[in-house]
Amino acid sequence: MSQGRPTPEVSQVPREMVDFEVLKTTGARAPRLGRFTLGGRKPILTPAFLGNTSRGVIPHMSPDNFGRYAGSNGVYVALEDFVEKHPEKTPPVFEYNVPEPLRRFAALPQDTPLVLGARRTPPIPTPATHTNTAISLLTSVGYKSVSSEYYAAAARKLRPDVVVGMADIPFGQATISIKRKDKMSDRTEAWLRHLVTTRNTMAVAPGEPRFDIFAPILPIERDLQSWYLEHLLDDMVDSISGLAIYDAFLLDDLPDALHHLPRLSLHVPASPHELLRQVSLGMDLLTVPFISSATDAGIAFDFTFPPPETPKSSVRQTLGIDMWHAEHARAVTPLSKGCQCYACTKHHRAYIQHLLSAKEMLGWFLIQVHNHAVVESFFTSLRTSIDAGTFDAHVATFEAYYEPQLPEKTGQAPRARGYHFRSEEHAKKEKKNPKRWNGELGGKGKAVLEGAHGQQPEKKQEMMHVIDDEALIDLVGIEHGAEAVHVEDLKIEDDVKG
Amino acid sequence: MPMPSALSFELLGKCSVTKARAATLHLPHGPVPLPIFMPVATQASLKGLTPEQLEKQGCRLCLNNTYHLGLKPGQATLDAIGGAHRFQSWPHNLLTDGDSFQMVSLLKLAQVTEEGVRFLSPHDGSPMLLTPEHSISLQNSIGSDIMMQLDDVIVTTSPDLARMKEAMERSVRWLDRCIQAHKYPERQNLFCIIQGGLDLDLRRECTAEMVARDTPGIAIGGLSGGEAKDEYCKVVDTCTGLLPEKKPRYVMGVGYPEDLVVSVALGADMFDCVWPTRTARFGNAITSRGVLNLRNAVYSTDFGPIEEGCQCTCCRPPEDGGLGITRAYVYHTTAKETAGAHLLTMHNVHYQLNLMRLVREAILEDRYPAFLRSFFAKLYDDKSKYPEWAVGALKGVGVDLLSD
Repeated sequence: MSQGRPTPEVSQVPREMVDFEVLKTTGARAPRLGRFTLGGRKPILTPAFLGNTSRGVIPHMSPDNFGRYAGSNGVYVALEDFVEKHPEKTPPVFEYNVPEPLRRFAALPQDTPLVLGARRTPPIPTPATHTNTAISLLTSVGYKSVSSEYYAAAARKLRPDVVVGMADIPFGQATISIKRKDKMSDRTEAWLRHLVTTRNTMAVAPGEPRFDIFAPILPIERDLQSWYLEHLLDDMVDSISGLAIYDAFLLDDLPDALHHLPRLSLHVPASPHELLRQVSLGMDLLTVPFISSATDAGIAFDFTFPPPETPKSSVRQTLGIDMWHAEHARAVTPLSKGCQCYACTKHHRAYIQHLLSAKEMLGWFLIQVHNHAVVESFFTSLRTSIDAGTFDAHVATFEAYYEPQLPEKTGQAPRARGYHFRSEEHAKKEKKNPKRWNGELGGKGKAVLEGAHGQQPEKKQEMMHVIDDEALIDLVGIEHGAEAVHVEDLKIEDDVKG
Repeated sequence: MPMPSALSFELLGKCSVTKARAATLHLPHGPVPLPIFMPVATQASLKGLTPEQLEKQGCRLCLNNTYHLGLKPGQATLDAIGGAHRFQSWPHNLLTDGDSFQMVSLLKLAQVTEEGVRFLSPHDGSPMLLTPEHSISLQNSIGSDIMMQLDDVIVTTSPDLARMKEAMERSVRWLDRCIQAHKYPERQNLFCIIQGGLDLDLRRECTAEMVARDTPGIAIGGLSGGEAKDEYCKVVDTCTGLLPEKKPRYVMGVGYPEDLVVSVALGADMFDCVWPTRTARFGNAITSRGVLNLRNAVYSTDFGPIEEGCQCTCCRPPEDGGLGITRAYVYHTTAKETAGAHLLTMHNVHYQLNLMRLVREAILEDRYPAFLRSFFAKLYDDKSKYPEWAVGALKGVGVDLLSD
């Protein structure tokens, strides 16, 4: 980046408040450059993206690898990943008595900015309706109602850097009545006020940080949340450090008095094009859930901003490579030419294709590292482009060069987890994961694979000879639904001679 | 004519009481300390860990599986890429096993003849033939630092002595074919595998035949298939008693901590097992006080490390450059995010490698009997709980666990 002052020493900045400096803007509704600084953490040059975590980790990435290969920006963590419905008790992390329980629990690097929200992004719609005091969360074992008091207490205990105020948004509802929208505004106002009070009255030792608050901006017309916005401006604006925006197009209507605040997008983008659109409207910090969903599908990103200068082709280029395709099986080439990520500099397509087809976890990890690196450099270059005043032109060439959507998913994702489903899918009877092996060979009763060496038997008698090495079971084949083959019926060529 | 060798075995110390030895084995991709535990990266990947993560736990020699790699990615790909080291970006040593285990696994689908093993392709049911020549050719393509002969394995508990003898004798004949077929003896070490089930006479006979072939290293195979532990110990003890001192001895498929320390006392140097990494995926952590299942709710609020004092990436506190992972966090992620499995896999691999490091130090300082006593005292809170087979086997090599 060419502009800006030297980055201040992190230790000199008090931990208390976010410092957000707009470095360059051409007015409202335009892309802007900024520097987002939390005391004690690495400053973030914006626009940038936050890593989207699941149970405290970026999926497929152990915390050491996160620090090593992807820890350059902050992370978004959802409280719903840490509370459980059963057993009915205090979430364990609340009992962790260290200065920054959440950061320490999830082993996040000390300098990584940590943003806490109530719900994952995207959230799974919950069937239970919200009340005046509580919203419904999806824990790993079911839905649970969480009040604004609980949320504020969690924030106080967990000490993230930034807490996104709890918003009353009926996710998954196609149409929302005017009356309901009024309620959304009323409740969100009350809940935010509570959070602000809790934070402002928190007893802390001198020098001990509290947390910063980002106020939610609801995904409804400005008129319908004007009551909330007025109160926000009248008596809470000095206590908040940023905005969490659920509908990027409402940036148009944002009151001028809020323009100095950093804007975190919880508007779920479907493609890089949509990221560009959000940035063009003036978004600063974005969340990009499609990174992990592409990774799960085995799709390795292959796009740059601006696109490479090549002779104009009539066909638009794909945004990602489906690594399940056998054509990569012998390619000793990186996922993307010139990519400097760990996966591209240390490994090659042939290995990654092998890992996916062998269903080895490392395959998804390598694609995840790569996809994060591609999005990282996408943001780095779009900042350069904004700085140079070429952003709009580059967006146009990007749209002309690449297909508008990520490629179709063809391969199998890793074993599906609860959060991969919408709630209505949970009700369906069929299995969420295909049964891997029905235990039958040739339809002749249960086959038990027995090991002689290379396999330590289990202590339990009944498990002694059973091999549950998935790879081996795959080799024996007989996937569920495959045609049963009677071994004795198969002819071996030599038998005829013999 | 002596067989060329691509290793050198540097014997550094012997226990003055038991048969335990400490050595350094110099292999084509660097030296490794003996005794050693080798983690199993069946399909050229250790259960979610990067080569760097595996390296950081101290691993310099791990296993790949010949048969799995022969199917995926296949020999042609391995040849095109230049072997399994390049394929998986592993700069250290690899050992490939010779397929025998898969044959037993697939026995219901397979038929063993003098020529090789006939079986039906698991993919399309077409007849396939696996011969010693094919196995060696695959392992030459893989480029493993240690390759294993194809042997004829039947479960040790088989009552059919005639079949056992046939398998043993066939394994010797197949070793000759493997030696014949081996293209690169100057850069890859072929190990023979002693067979003979639990019959000590067959084992003696087989050992004599195998030793005569002078391979760079020697494996004891066919064990760890559910036989009684005292029978296992007798076989290991008998074989090591007949083996030359200056060659590495590998007992295949062994991996419980107590099996490792006893087998070392019986004179074995190398071990492999999928158990530590497989059990990690089920939430089990190996510690010096036994295996903990961290999916148990009692650990949900246990904010201690997986094992106090452990120096693995997970357990070391952040102040020492580790992650400071708590048991509660493993509980939080295990079976819900694959990263939970990665964490425990790192810990378990580190535990096994570190155990062998401590074993080696104890042998070098000639205090292995004391090490054994303190190892069992930690693992079991009472002497009455010590496994009889371990007490018996160690008594046989001069260590009485029950005395003070």
